[in-house]
Amino acid sequence: MKPIVELKNLSKTIGKKKIIDQLNLTLYPGQITGFLGPNGAGKTTTIRMMVGLMKPTTGDVIIDGLSLQSNFEAGISKMGAIVENPEMYKFMSGYKNLVHFARMHKNVTKERIDEVIRQVGMEKRIHEKVSTYSLGMRQRLGLAQALLNKPKFLILDEPTNGLDPAGIREFRTYLRKIAEEDGVSVLVSSHLLSEIELMCDRIAVIQNGKLVAIREVNETEESQYYIEAQPVDKARHILIEKGISVEDYQNGLLISVEQADIPTVVEQLVQQNILIYTVSHHRKTLEEQFLEMTGGGQIVESNSK
Amino acid sequence: MLNLIRNEWMKLWHKKATWVMVALLIAMIIGLVAITKWIDRNTETPAWEQTVSEELTIVKQQLATPGIDEETKKSLEEQQMLLQYRLDEGIAPLASNSLEGFIMDSYGMSSIITLLTVIVAAGIVASEFSQGTIKMLLARPVQRWKILTSKFLTVVAFALFLTVVAYVVSLVMGLIFYEASGGGLLEVVNGQVTEVSYWLKSIWLNVLALGDVIIIASFAFAIGTVFRSSSLAIGIAIFLMFTGSQFAFFLKNYEIVKYILFSHTFTQMETGGSFIEGMSTPFSVAVLVAYFIFFLAISYWTFTKRDVTA
Repeated sequence: MKPIVELKNLSKTIGKKKIIDQLNLTLYPGQITGFLGPNGAGKTTTIRMMVGLMKPTTGDVIIDGLSLQSNFEAGISKMGAIVENPEMYKFMSGYKNLVHFARMHKNVTKERIDEVIRQVGMEKRIHEKVSTYSLGMRQRLGLAQALLNKPKFLILDEPTNGLDPAGIREFRTYLRKIAEEDGVSVLVSSHLLSEIELMCDRIAVIQNGKLVAIREVNETEESQYYIEAQPVDKARHILIEKGISVEDYQNGLLISVEQADIPTVVEQLVQQNILIYTVSHHRKTLEEQFLEMTGGGQIVESNSK
Repeated sequence: MLNLIRNEWMKLWHKKATWVMVALLIAMIIGLVAITKWIDRNTETPAWEQTVSEELTIVKQQLATPGIDEETKKSLEEQQMLLQYRLDEGIAPLASNSLEGFIMDSYGMSSIITLLTVIVAAGIVASEFSQGTIKMLLARPVQRWKILTSKFLTVVAFALFLTVVAYVVSLVMGLIFYEASGGGLLEVVNGQVTEVSYWLKSIWLNVLALGDVIIIASFAFAIGTVFRSSSLAIGIAIFLMFTGSQFAFFLKNYEIVKYILFSHTFTQMETGGSFIEGMSTPFSVAVLVAYFIFFLAISYWTFTKRDVTA
């Protein structure tokens, strides 16, 4: 598949500090990518370089085959973005704000503006001044302005901040829809890991300005099962003797076995008079994965042998 | 580009402050008329013939003083010609309390217009940064120099708008409160005394005053763009506007005074009010244009090069 966005050896040095160091990232149509990283990792700087607010020290951003260095206007016209909070002109109505931004793009008609307003559910309040809007409504307006030019690539920085649960759900469904139906590629930066997990197909993690990992959200690295049994020590001993890798987890054990082997394992434990309370499939949460990837996960991993 | 200017114009007029400024300008003109009317209510103006012949005597005396330089001599001779012509032909000078005189002086509102334009020029870029909207504005398929150009042209359009408003309001007030004096405006052209239209002259003076407004506005625009603080830009620009000419006056004996922005104005060239000797009109124009280009150059340079971190 042809990528929509390519970051090529992107670096940014401010003063003597390397904020972004040789970052390479490729985003494909129809994919929602979560952009994660601890505070100060360089997420915002990367996003600012992607939307043309900052110039890279070296490297380039390619949007739909167009380099932002040499072909800025054509490249940016394929993109829609919310960078941090959606700051709007508070002294004007939401509608006037959209008209304002629409004029900065080519071929955004009045009908398109109305369509976008409907899509974000702002019909009732659109003619009121932005200063009267709640944070959630400003987020909706922010999304509306990002969608005006039917972008092929959408950058959203903390998009659900301030939205109510229903709004978040609606938002998620909408993103999924434009990704699947229109083949829009979306990059979502957020601190809410549970949110990212529900919304994204894959996650890109950066730390200290470098890309640490890129992985599919639902990727099953290896199948793991959680067993709560008593007495734990005896159970662990039996399992290790069978050559199964065991890991302590909460009140029980995590074992790495295939689904097909579960009945045998359970049978063997029962035969040895082990009391079994729970057997369940275990998937690492994104939070655990994130901490693991960014080095905050050493405690989690320490007992793994 | 037209769309960008429309955007800036729309944002400008959605701010209450802009309407207040226009109201203030109109109120000032009306107030000025009221005050002058009130002061003038009991003053008896002597017959113009008497004043003109008195002036003529003074000019003749000055011409007679030995050792005056060529330039002064030339301008005194012209004055003499004009005054003599008035007496001979019976053409009264335009009294300031007449319709014509009031319209002629309408360019005097330019200091208020400068003040108001400076406020707009200083804030038009800086406020985008302070509101955080600069991110939304620049993450668009429009190159930065185009955005800055639209902003500067909007400032120019605003100054032009205020000048037109001031002129029209002055005209209306003049028609209501003053009567035509029947006098004429005279000028020496190629050694001949000719009567010139006070309409054209008043419009020309307003155009020159607009030029002065734009020079100061470009200064405020540059400060606002470079430091991204509208209060700083307004403060510095207004401070220099009021102290600049005094500052230049202190330095009047030094060569450097010729290169200071505040030693020159466009209106001065027409009305001949400069206190510095030996400055020709082309030189003044060159200095003003050089400053103008310099202010715009630093605005463009910082605006297009700098990373946006607001």
